Amino acid sequence: MSKQAIILTVNGVARQALVEPNQTLTSLLRDELGLTGTKHGCGVGDCGCCTVILDGETVNSCLVLAMQAQGREVTTIEGLAKGAELHPLQQAFVDAGAIQCGFCTPGMILSAKALLDHTPQPTREEITKGLSGNLCRCTGYEKIVEAVQDAAGKMSEA
Amino acid sequence: MLLPSFDYYRPQSLPEALSLLGEMGEDARPLAGGTDLLVNLKLKKLAPKVLLDLGGLEELKGNRADDGLVSLGALDTASRLASGGPEVPGLLAMGAGALGSPQVRNRATLGGNLVTARPAADICLPLLALGAKAVLAGPNGEREVALDGYFKGPGYTVKEAGEILTRVILDAPRPGVGGGYQKLGLRQAMEIALVNVAAHLELEDDGKTVALARVALGAVAPFPMLSPGAASALIGKPAQETCFSEAAEAAAAEARPIDDHRGSAAYRRDMVRTLTLRALRQALSQAQGNQEAQA
Ligand SMILES: Cc1cc2nc3c(=O)[nH]c(=O)nc-3n(C[C@H](O)[C@H](O)[C@H](O)COP(=O)(O)OP(=O)(O)OC[C@H]3O[C@@H](n4cnc5c(N)ncnc54)[C@H](O)[C@@H]3O)c2cc1C
Ligand code: FES
Ligand code: FES
Repeated sequence: MSKQAIILTVNGVARQALVEPNQTLTSLLRDELGLTGTKHGCGVGDCGCCTVILDGETVNSCLVLAMQAQGREVTTIEGLAKGAELHPLQQAFVDAGAIQCGFCTPGMILSAKALLDHTPQPTREEITKGLSGNLCRCTGYEKIVEAVQDAAGKMSEA
Repeated sequence: MLLPSFDYYRPQSLPEALSLLGEMGEDARPLAGGTDLLVNLKLKKLAPKVLLDLGGLEELKGNRADDGLVSLGALDTASRLASGGPEVPGLLAMGAGALGSPQVRNRATLGGNLVTARPAADICLPLLALGAKAVLAGPNGEREVALDGYFKGPGYTVKEAGEILTRVILDAPRPGVGGGYQKLGLRQAMEIALVNVAAHLELEDDGKTVALARVALGAVAPFPMLSPGAASALIGKPAQETCFSEAAEAAAAEARPIDDHRGSAAYRRDMVRTLTLRALRQALSQAQGNQEAQA
C-alpha cells in the first residue's frame, strides 16, 4: 500500500501529510511536520515521553498510527506557549527545577495539562496518578509534583 | 522501534469488516486501541499483512441498558469504563481504572482486553466475575458466549479468526449487588498484576445472606479463572468474615500459580487468600451501601 494523504489539526492549525500505513503518530509529528518536541523513547507505551493530546485525551503517540489521526485534533508541547510567553506549567517546571535533561518534560507537561483540564485543583495523589504513565530518569518526581501544584495554584488565580 | 510494513483498512460497517476479514483470513488483524497489537508488531511477535481498524464501526460503540441487562460496546475505552456511568457496574469501573497508565487507558478497549486474554487482564477479571457474555459476530451471524468457558489459554479464546467481538452483555447494576477488586503489582501503575482478584456478591433482600457470588482470579492460571470453591463457600451463607475466610481458603487452594521471575507460586497463593478476603469485604460494603441508598 502506498502513502496516503491525511488531514488533521495540530496545535489549532490544519495540516496535511502523506503517510505510510506503518508510520506512527510520533513519526508523523517529528519527521513529517518537524515538531520534534514530542520525543521518541521506548516505543512500546512504557515511558510516556511521546505523549500528546488527541481530541482532549493524552495518548502514547508511539502506539497510535498516523492514519488513525485522520480528521482529529492533536496538541503537542509546541502548542502550549503563547508567542514568547510560556504556559504556566512550562514556567512552573523551569522555576521548580523540575527539568534536568528535559527528555521526559514535554510528555510530563502534557499529562499535567490534561490532568488540570479535568481537575483544576488536584490532590498530591491525583497528581502522581495523573503522571503515572510518564517516567523521568533524572529529576525525580518530587520537583515535578511541586511544579504541577505550583502551576495549578497560579492558573486558578488567573 | 519500528513497525513492520502492512496495509491499513478502515471499514465503515460491521458487514464490511467481516467480509474483509473473511477474504483475508489469518493475514488480517483487527486493530482497536493498538496497545497490545502495535506492541506485538514492534516486538516482531506478529506480522499480519493487513490491519483492519475497527474505529469506524458504530456497531461496536456506546452502551445501552434494556430490561435489566446492559450491553457495552467493544470499543469502550478503559478510561470511559473507569469513569463509570449508569450502565457500568462498579466492579468493572474499578478494574478498568487499575489498567496501565492514563495514556494507555485512553486507548485500551474492552474488546482488545477480552481478545488478548492475558491471564491477569484487568477488564477480563471483573467481567468474568460479573457473569458477562461476549457477543461474537462472524460470517454466519452472531453468537453469545459466556465468559466462563470463553478463555482457553494466554491470548487464546473460543473466538475464531473470522469473528469480531462486538459487545458484552451483563446484568445491569442494581441494589444489593457489589464488587471488590484487588490488584497486586510490583509498581503502582503501568503494570500487569502479580495477582489480582475480582469478587462479585449479590445479597438477598434481608441484606445479609449471600444469594450469588463469583470470585475471579488473575495471574494464577493460564487464563482468568473462576473459583467454584469460593462461590460455594459463600452462596446461601450469611455474608460475614467466617464464610469470607472459607472462600479465601478455597480460592487459594484452587489457584494454579507458577514460579517466575516476578514471584514464587507459594507467595502468589498466599496473596490470593489475602486479596480474596479484601475483595469480599469491599464487595459487601458496596452491596450494603447501595442497598441502603435505595431503601
Ligand atoms: C504500557 C502498557 C501497560 C499495560 N498495562 C495493562 C494492565 O495493567 N492491565 C491489562 O489488563 N492490560 C494492560 N496492557 C495491555 C492492553 O492495554 C490491554 O490488553 C488492552 O485492553 C488492549 O486493548 P486494545 O484496544 O489496545 O487492543 P488492540 O491492541 O487493538 O488489540 C489486541 C488484540 O485483540 C484483537 N482485537 C481487538 N479488538 C477486537 C474486537 N473487537 N474483535 C476481535 N478482535 C479484536 C486484535 O486483533 C489484537 O489481536 C498494557 C499495555 C501497555 C502498552
Ligand atoms: S516512546 Fe511512547 S511510551 Fe515510550
Ligand atoms: S529530566 Fe531527564 S528524564 Fe526527566
